Amino acid sequence: MSNMKNSRVLLICVVLVGVVLLSGCTTTSSGKIKAGFIYVGPIGDYGWTNAHDEGRTIVEDKYDWLETVYIESVAEDTASVVAAADTLVEVEQCDVIFTTSFGFMDGTLAAAEKYPDVLFFHCSGFMRDVNVGNYFADFYQLYYLNGLMAGALSPSGELGYVGAFPIPEVIRHINAFTLGARAVNATATVDVRWIYSWYDPTLATNAADALVADGVDMLAFTEDSPAVIQAAEKYDDVYAFSHYSPMQYYGNDSTISGQLVHWDILYDEILSKVNDGTYNNTNLADVDYLWFLKEDAVELGGLFGVPINTIFEDDLKAVDVSGETAYALVMRRLDEMDGPTVTFDPFTGPIKAQNGTIMFADGVQATIPDLFAFMDWFVEGVIGSPS
Amino acid sequence: MVELLNPILWHSIVAAATFFVLPTLGEIYAERSGILNLGIEGMVIAGAAGSYAIAYQTQDILLGVLFGMFIGGLLATIHAILTITFNRNQVVSGIGLTILGTGLSGLLGDAVIGKALKGIDSTPIPILNDIPTIGEVFFDQNIFVYLSFILAPILWFILYKTRIGILIRSVGENPSASMNQGVNVRLIRYLCVIFGGMMAGLGGAYLSLGWLNFWTDGMTQGRGWIVIALVVVALWNPLGAFIGSYLFGMFDVLQFSFQHEAIPFIFPTGIPPSVLKMMPPVSTILFLAIWGIILSQQKVKSIVGAPSALAKPFED
Repeated sequence: MSNMKNSRVLLICVVLVGVVLLSGCTTTSSGKIKAGFIYVGPIGDYGWTNAHDEGRTIVEDKYDWLETVYIESVAEDTASVVAAADTLVEVEQCDVIFTTSFGFMDGTLAAAEKYPDVLFFHCSGFMRDVNVGNYFADFYQLYYLNGLMAGALSPSGELGYVGAFPIPEVIRHINAFTLGARAVNATATVDVRWIYSWYDPTLATNAADALVADGVDMLAFTEDSPAVIQAAEKYDDVYAFSHYSPMQYYGNDSTISGQLVHWDILYDEILSKVNDGTYNNTNLADVDYLWFLKEDAVELGGLFGVPINTIFEDDLKAVDVSGETAYALVMRRLDEMDGPTVTFDPFTGPIKAQNGTIMFADGVQATIPDLFAFMDWFVEGVIGSPS
Repeated sequence: MVELLNPILWHSIVAAATFFVLPTLGEIYAERSGILNLGIEGMVIAGAAGSYAIAYQTQDILLGVLFGMFIGGLLATIHAILTITFNRNQVVSGIGLTILGTGLSGLLGDAVIGKALKGIDSTPIPILNDIPTIGEVFFDQNIFVYLSFILAPILWFILYKTRIGILIRSVGENPSASMNQGVNVRLIRYLCVIFGGMMAGLGGAYLSLGWLNFWTDGMTQGRGWIVIALVVVALWNPLGAFIGSYLFGMFDVLQFSFQHEAIPFIFPTGIPPSVLKMMPPVSTILFLAIWGIILSQQKVKSIVGAPSALAKPFED
């Protein structure tokens, strides 16, 4: 009796698996490219994952030859990434897979080894393989511009930063923000509080409140929700810079500017080259996109198309910075970094570390590895520990 | 040195703690009647999404709050049907409802991600608001916070000083005896569980409409679970709901004030954030451990301990 029961269960399982596999097969039609996305957060985070998903839907709508699927809230361990890749390759029959978190790096390489016919692109990492390329759009130029505005508009000169994790990416952004602020106000400081999470709205709120309690009047942050914007909105004279998504909607009176991303620009570039055969599963080892303002992968502002919240324009025009207004300075620097040839980089010496050590001598510009791999130190003016 | 008496800090702590007080008050009633509801997290998050969605669509905050309470109450009704009418395992049903509520929140909130709404402003209470520091900390808050101040003593009074309260506690202590006395055990348990769910929904509405003023997926980050521990810390007493909630809120906020503080010899360059981040759960565990030792004395337990019939299926 129990044997019969078991065999019946087995039969049902076999049928179910078969149905799943068959339904996977039927969705793929030849001549099309199917791209799978593995996300670290929910697409409804209104931050990092939300921005990637915006990019995905834009390119899918644009091209007839493209079909996309995604798996959200995947854990950052190798087994989880490979399991997600299993689904995308074996069930969904994807040709290309994008893994959109730094923590997916090991998992991506493992999955790429398991599926040598599939093209993998890993976002924000540095390890590559014949069928694993890299891509990233970085904000440090924007943080510098945000810093210029914060330094010009802060009466106290005390700025705050709610940081996710002390890793080179976040440290680089805090440093760029600080360099910007001190280019306008030489005594400005940036007080950093770590929340040790990419996404935790209530903790980000608490951290912002703690910063305001300590006298900070400008808030920048790395966290994937509008929590810090809303925290600033609660106080009369506290202002904030939006992060990743157009968050000015949440605090029109308190959002000065911010950082916006266009992942669609990168997805368009990569998928078009997959489609025309430029990229295949043997030649990705040298594919490493690191795009900035010049390539339109990122944009200054708290709303698309609005680099500076208009209600702060007059205030910025009233601040003089060695002969030009703060507004003109921000626009000039934006222009210099927007290309076609970039004539300014925020990380150009002299730059000192927190303890006064000169890290980059006068005129020396930081290299990509300096910024993206070795930046585990804070510049002068940051309050807090980079670990 | 951290300025511990900074009113902005304490204002923030009260705001953070209120998120725990409201659902804890509800769960105390559910557990007092003998039903453990582990679905609180699901009810809080579904309430947060539902209330924000309705408030945004109708531009009516009150309607949003009421809808949040309705969603919480609805989920709790499922728990009541499963555990009271059908005597199913309370732990399994509760965890199932947390999963259901989390999924439901994604559905309810999907349309309002990235949609801003003016939430509930703080309403300073005249005269009380003028008391130095205290006024700024406690009486310049929004209506949800005042509701927690008012509800806790009312719920305490009902539980300990009225006939209804005696009935609630008796069905949680000894349902068989209560039933022999002609008490409708199931009805009382149903009402308590549904009330608990509505309070969880209210806590969710406070999160999305009163405190943070937005909805994003998974925004509670599992904090609703803490309520289960806070009920124990409160010793199942509505006034005790403040103890654990404020302790938790305090650590949640103060960990950021202490990030630059150094402790000689142990942390000479400052207390690591990871250590500070452990403080809220560690303090709760410590509290639970101390309570556990105290409550292991049979005499103490009979006075302030858990309801005897808590989480036990009741067949009549």
